Amino acid sequence: MAPARRVLVVDDDEGLRETLGEVLTDDGFDVRVAWNGRDALEKLDGWNADVVILDVMMPVMDAFGFQSALDERPEPSPPVILLSAAPGLASAASELGAVSVISKPFHLQDLIAEVRRVVGPMDGTAPTGV
Amino acid sequence: MAVTQIRPAERAPATGKRTLADLAHGPEAIRLLVDAVLDYAIFLIGPDGHVLTWNQGAERIKGYRASEVIGKHISIFYTPEDVEAGRPERILRQAARSGRADDEGWRLRKDGTSFWADASVHALYDHGRLYGFAKITRDMTEARAAAERERQLAVEREARLAAEEALRARDRFLSIASHELKTPVASLQLAVDALLMSRERGVLDQGRIERGLERIERAVRRMSALLVELLDVSRLERGSTEFRFAEVDISGIAEEVIDRFAGVEPNGRIQFDLKPTVIEADGARIEQVISNLLDNALKYSARPQPVHVRIKHSKQGALIEVRDKGVGFSLDRKDGLFEPFSRGDNSVSVPGMGLGLFISREIVAGHGGQISAESAGDGKGTTFRVTLPANQADRTNGSG
Repeated sequence: MAPARRVLVVDDDEGLRETLGEVLTDDGFDVRVAWNGRDALEKLDGWNADVVILDVMMPVMDAFGFQSALDERPEPSPPVILLSAAPGLASAASELGAVSVISKPFHLQDLIAEVRRVVGPMDGTAPTGV
Repeated sequence: MAVTQIRPAERAPATGKRTLADLAHGPEAIRLLVDAVLDYAIFLIGPDGHVLTWNQGAERIKGYRASEVIGKHISIFYTPEDVEAGRPERILRQAARSGRADDEGWRLRKDGTSFWADASVHALYDHGRLYGFAKITRDMTEARAAAERERQLAVEREARLAAEEALRARDRFLSIASHELKTPVASLQLAVDALLMSRERGVLDQGRIERGLERIERAVRRMSALLVELLDVSRLERGSTEFRFAEVDISGIAEEVIDRFAGVEPNGRIQFDLKPTVIEADGARIEQVISNLLDNALKYSARPQPVHVRIKHSKQGALIEVRDKGVGFSLDRKDGLFEPFSRGDNSVSVPGMGLGLFISREIVAGHGGQISAESAGDGKGTTFRVTLPANQADRTNGSG
């Protein structure tokens, strides 16, 4: 068995990140949560995520600040799924180089499917089923 | 401006021997010149108000021939209302007294139609004796109509710009409001989806149910708060908010607000100095102001930078001060800070509708108080100061 895939959930909405964390853990992912970009950078220290689910507007450090800090690190940056209610999400996604965008509100099933799609091919194995 | 027309030689002297240069030195030259002017009615009036001379301009503007008008009283040019009010005589008296009187208004032509006259009456004195008056009248009907059209166009243009701005403000409002509402709706939907999914997978235990319910409750509360905020704004903008004034201790209100925020902030981040300060105010509304200012200070500065809240008596009544070491603002942003949906440019990523300061300003104004913001510049922190009068009766007396 390959080790569990790692997902980092970054959102300033506590309910949202805790719920996502719980459900993704149920799904067999190794999950960490962060409440803003700076917190996320700390969580990524010594723990490489296979995918980051990232809100755009957050206090202290937003998605743009997070992405540029991430780009400065020597190790390859994990793929990002943008998850936001902000207007102009598509242009934010292209600026950030996000692999996909999901606009809030969203269906949990859609998000899980997207996470599986993104991390699935990373180690060449098929995504784990439920 | 119309060019003054002077008819050429048709009225030249009959002798045929004299030239215009000869005439220029004689009194007849003046008569010829005046007579030839077409754009101005220029005529002499006797001291009693009767017409003595008549030029071509007068005939053209007023419609009377010289033979029809010479010897008539100038009141025939005025409207019945003006005659009734004694305007023709008054103008002459004024000119006799001051040397000159300006007289602008509607006048009647011979055919009964009216025109807008811009006239001046000049008293003619010789060695202290009043000989009569010279009156110069110009028909300004067209110019006036043009000015009126211009004014009308300007009014319309302004109304159109205001309507466009109102539309833009509404669009901005809808965009921000919908974004803000989407966030708790997303939490709500996620909590429900997660509960349903857990049930489907057979992992729905008591802990999950409780956590799910708490999240649902939080999301619903956030939505309700947003709706209240939106309604507040619309009421405050219409000025239909009612304040319930009573004796309240502002420091007690501040303490409650701080307690509420302290639960989710690191220990010691909110520092305070609260002196008992009893004034006449709407306690619930003042709580809203303190809560907005504190929320703002916490949002626009990074943890664990401290935020200071101070309540004390001031000369007028009460002083509320909330100070942070956060993003601050530059001077050119100062005026916009309190406008609805205004958000700090230096913090586009801070969530919120940008209504808090607007609501606070309106509440403070409803108390007859003042709110101000100070910052040494971008990144230098912000201090908000609110002053409130000690009681509302003083305020009414003071401002009335």
